[in-house]
Amino acid sequence: MTMTPRLRKFALIAHVTASVGWLGAVVVFLALSVVGLTSRDARLVTAVYLAMEPAGWFALVPLSFASLLTGLVQSLGTTWGLFRHYWILTKLVINVFASVILLMYMQTLGFLARVAAEVPLSSGDLSGLRSPSPVIHSGLGMLLLLVATTLSVYKPRGMTPYGWRKQHDERRERHEQRRVLLP
Amino acid sequence: MADPFSYPETADDIRVGPDREPATSTPRWVKVFGIIALLLVLLFVVLILTGGHDPGRHTPSSDAGGLPAPSSVRVHGAQQR
Repeated sequence: MTMTPRLRKFALIAHVTASVGWLGAVVVFLALSVVGLTSRDARLVTAVYLAMEPAGWFALVPLSFASLLTGLVQSLGTTWGLFRHYWILTKLVINVFASVILLMYMQTLGFLARVAAEVPLSSGDLSGLRSPSPVIHSGLGMLLLLVATTLSVYKPRGMTPYGWRKQHDERRERHEQRRVLLP
Repeated sequence: MADPFSYPETADDIRVGPDREPATSTPRWVKVFGIIALLLVLLFVVLILTGGHDPGRHTPSSDAGGLPAPSSVRVHGAQQR
């Protein structure tokens, strides 16, 4: 099913907004993670680890699934298709992989938030709470999303065998139609 | 407007070029991405198998001088035993 040009534009805006929003949220998450790892202010460190879990559930997770959903609509509703071009397939794999890792990682963020909630602010000893894990995960996530963004802009060449077959079939159909229409 | 079937923004219609591999073969960038993806999956599997993704592994254990697991986790763990 191919969308009308107006609907296609709307779907494209939705996809770009969700995907760039996800990237932006990951960048903020990376900044928070670095603050949590390096700041000497106990209240700030505790606040960072407490904020990460709701930020994940209310920003990262919805944006990741919005990006996936709008991407599926965008590819299946246009002639690009979902499995025809390697760059689209690669973006799909990146999106699904990052979303699954994010969902699994929410467990860790929940754990860190619970630990942060129980740290007495007066103790000043935050060595047990500080974790490089959010920095590593958000850094790698940002890298993956940057790769996906780059693929979207450059659209590198390369059709899958399925894409070649579909293109060949469509061209043959058009050729047949022309032969029928011409006297 | 360009013919949507011609995919004008990619070079897929160029079958063979003087310094290009045939367009029907898998492009080099896909092979490189595939190898990186395979390595990532392997790393992920190793981390899962070695327990590197337990939530508790991300913070130093109480034995090592870090903070103990939160009481909610301890209560949950005690109920499971």
